[in-house]
Amino acid sequence: MPDVVVSQLKKEFGGNTVLHEVSLTIKDGEFFTLLGPSGCGKSTTLSCLAGLEKPTSGVISIGEETFFDGERNKFVPPEARNLGMVFQSYALWPHMTLAQNLAMPLKLRKVPKGEQQTLIHDALDKVGMAHLADRYPHQLSGGQQQRVALARALVYSPRVLLLDEPLSNLDAKLREQARVWLKRLQSELGITTIYVTHDQEEALAMSDRIAVMSSGHLLQVGSPEDIYERPATAEVAAFIGRSNFIDGTIRSVVEGKARVVVEDATAEFEVHADRGFAAGDAVTVAFRPERATLVDASAAAPDASVLLPGDILATAYVGSRVEYTVRFGKRTLLVDHYRGGFTGPVNVALPEDAVRLYPRTDVVPEDVEELMAVTV
Amino acid sequence: MTNVLTRPRGADAAPNGPEQYPAPRYRSLLGADRSSWLYWATIIVLAVLVLAPVVPTLIQALSDRPLYESGGVFTLDNFVRLFTEADFGMVALTTLAFAGLTTILTILIAVPMAIVVVRTDIPGRRIFGVGMQWPFFISSLILGFGWITMYGPAGFVSTWVRSAVGTVPWDLYTIPGMALTEAVALAPIAYLFCANALRNADASLEGAAQTVGAGPFQILRSVVVPMLRPPVVYSSILVFSMSVETLSVPLLYGQPVGITVFATFLYKNGLQSINPDYGILGAASTIILLVTVLLVVIQGKLLREAKRFVSVRGKATRPRLLDLGWIKWPAVVFIVIYLLFGAVIPIGGLVFRSFTAFFTPLANPFNALTLANYQRIWEFPVYLASIRNSLIVAAVGAVLVSVLATIAVVVARRSTFRYRKLIEYLALAPQAMPGLIIGIGLFWAFAFAPFGLGAIVQGTLAAIIIGFGLRALPSAFGSISPAVMQVGEELDNAARVSGADWLRTFTRILSRLITPAFGAALVLSFVTMLKEYSPAIFLGSAKTNVIGTTMLELWVQGNSGSVAALATIQIVITAVFVGVAGLLMKGNKIDA
Repeated sequence: MPDVVVSQLKKEFGGNTVLHEVSLTIKDGEFFTLLGPSGCGKSTTLSCLAGLEKPTSGVISIGEETFFDGERNKFVPPEARNLGMVFQSYALWPHMTLAQNLAMPLKLRKVPKGEQQTLIHDALDKVGMAHLADRYPHQLSGGQQQRVALARALVYSPRVLLLDEPLSNLDAKLREQARVWLKRLQSELGITTIYVTHDQEEALAMSDRIAVMSSGHLLQVGSPEDIYERPATAEVAAFIGRSNFIDGTIRSVVEGKARVVVEDATAEFEVHADRGFAAGDAVTVAFRPERATLVDASAAAPDASVLLPGDILATAYVGSRVEYTVRFGKRTLLVDHYRGGFTGPVNVALPEDAVRLYPRTDVVPEDVEELMAVTV
Repeated sequence: MTNVLTRPRGADAAPNGPEQYPAPRYRSLLGADRSSWLYWATIIVLAVLVLAPVVPTLIQALSDRPLYESGGVFTLDNFVRLFTEADFGMVALTTLAFAGLTTILTILIAVPMAIVVVRTDIPGRRIFGVGMQWPFFISSLILGFGWITMYGPAGFVSTWVRSAVGTVPWDLYTIPGMALTEAVALAPIAYLFCANALRNADASLEGAAQTVGAGPFQILRSVVVPMLRPPVVYSSILVFSMSVETLSVPLLYGQPVGITVFATFLYKNGLQSINPDYGILGAASTIILLVTVLLVVIQGKLLREAKRFVSVRGKATRPRLLDLGWIKWPAVVFIVIYLLFGAVIPIGGLVFRSFTAFFTPLANPFNALTLANYQRIWEFPVYLASIRNSLIVAAVGAVLVSVLATIAVVVARRSTFRYRKLIEYLALAPQAMPGLIIGIGLFWAFAFAPFGLGAIVQGTLAAIIIGFGLRALPSAFGSISPAVMQVGEELDNAARVSGADWLRTFTRILSRLITPAFGAALVLSFVTMLKEYSPAIFLGSAKTNVIGTTMLELWVQGNSGSVAALATIQIVITAVFVGVAGLLMKGNKIDA
């Protein structure tokens, strides 16, 4: 199973560009996830791969075979691409039994009857549904339907498996189990899988690599650790996990160390700057709540490079940790701490590698900002 | 066997080797796949069908001599003569008066009825709701016969009133008389739109009004009635355009006393004159077409707007019923009067008439019971043939129309065909084409079709089927379209990715899932075409009369007993057919 290559893929809907020249290479056997909020273009990308949408320009190919080439006006229809796909609604044909659902792609491929039986049984068995082969889809639960949809997509040994939010219709508990099960099945089969989801936990837990998308742009491609620990842009940091954002200005850069003055509050600190920042640049500072710790304002400063003075505004006990909301100038910061009991003035302490600098971006939606703003 | 399911990771011996189950291949012809061929076939068939009656009409309107004479010269003279010699302006004004009055009366009947039946606690609401469906079974031609039989100058009720009071205080053969009958026939359509809007409206709006202390009448006035504005505006236009093109009532009432509207103008000039002036006929048809097209375009615009108003919630809220107090009794009486005097008495009278030799309160009709009216139909082969023709036309036509409508819906809604929008417009276009104009236009089209194709069709049942089928196409399209929209597009997509091309997806998946809607379209088309007659007035020959045209013929001969018998037969056929179809479809539902 060769690599899937997407280059310069562009899709417009009536003058509206929903995909801006996206390029991706998905390696053989990889579990690759397209992650992003709704409307980011991830499903459109998948539809273009499947052939259900015709891109405006760009190239899509699998190995030697080109499925779409805008310049040569080549378009291979979905039925000729030999891909497997599982849809959000599962899309099991309601007028057919499970066995008939699975038989359909085999019949279309003129697989001999006897072989069909074996293939259908094997595929249903693989997803643990062989005993229900003669049921109709509406007689199954959502989780069972999802597994049958997967069996139907695999029964004809497609080149690549495309999954369009297949778990989003399951309830939370079942979704977690299905996640583990699906990942195990995929690595057993070794089939190249392209997975679309808006659920970051799902993406982090299952993927070999993740592509984060936002409003038709590809923001970052990398392993789950890369994406979480080293978000390439402030948007990625905002979308994946929770992040605090502070606006600041760079006062000076000396030997790779940037001195940042915080706006909206009186604080400044020095952090490692790996990009070409220069003095005077407006930046957005980001850090994750679980990387920060709290110290009493009166206590001696710990060995941390960044200290942000603030006051505790609110405390929420969520079981495994305590979530503090800290007033920091006109903003609030979120800090996770293992113990409760902090009140009044505190210092938010951060190790240097927890702090990331980005060119100034507006990542917090206005309404959220309004909610978070502290009115004194 | 090595397939993805059994092959361990990394054991792929030949990563670029031949696939075990390659994607199926579909044949293509002249560089286009077979689905594209179907798209093009659909649009061509529709375009030919829709343009066939229109184009000859337009050419005739602008030609100085009949189409069959060679050397025609372009002229506007026909339009000049239309308004001078033929006095078409007066006809237009009469039509306007008739259609306007019909619309007002229709709304006056329908709106209060919708409010009362859907939103209040009057007794018998369910029966009234069902009762409003009567025009589905009874054509306006039959209703006209029934009204004349009961309320006409020599009608049963009129005679009875005259003998009691000395005079009849109404005259059916006037514009208000025509409008009242037409309004009774069209009220259920306006009722349907208003009732649906009321059912779909969010009941919490009324609840909100109640919580601030509004009484039932205040709620009606300030919440319910304003909500009805979109459906009222829409159905007004719909009713107006239907009464602009209607033939039945104006023909039965207006023609004898010289009240001429659009449809009867065409009837008179095209059929009754010995030497028809084709130029004037073409010019009149063109103007009428312009009016009806304009009205249909307005309808389309309004319907889109109206949809914005309808507040359909995901959660179904059962509308709370308002308690009207004593007012509900006048409301019940109003509805009963409408159903009783509008439909039950005229139709019942007509059916009774078919079993009597004469029908007047002056002599007891029970003493004159006879089957002679039916016997006459039975004895004359042409009359019997007209029943057979109607059945053939309705049965064959219903199948053809439903198949064409299904394909048109699926191509229009579920394909990537570049002109799919045009397919929808073409399929809905006959809405704007009055039956008589379809008849005249097709008549001309058959006369001038290339390769003598027209001569094969002209005067046969096939011609009638084409004409009636065109009339039935928009409603068949409209009844199938929502069913197709309800089938999730992912079901199609799943089939495409699995290896089915567009055509196979349609035959294996979509067509199976919309079978119930197809059945409903069959029933609807059958009933529509069984009641239809106006295109046949021009297209029919002595051999191809249908029930409607035969009734008209018998009516002109003064043979009202046999008209009543044929009308009864038509109603019975419709009722039996709908009943059997309903049973069959219910059975299917249990199977699935």
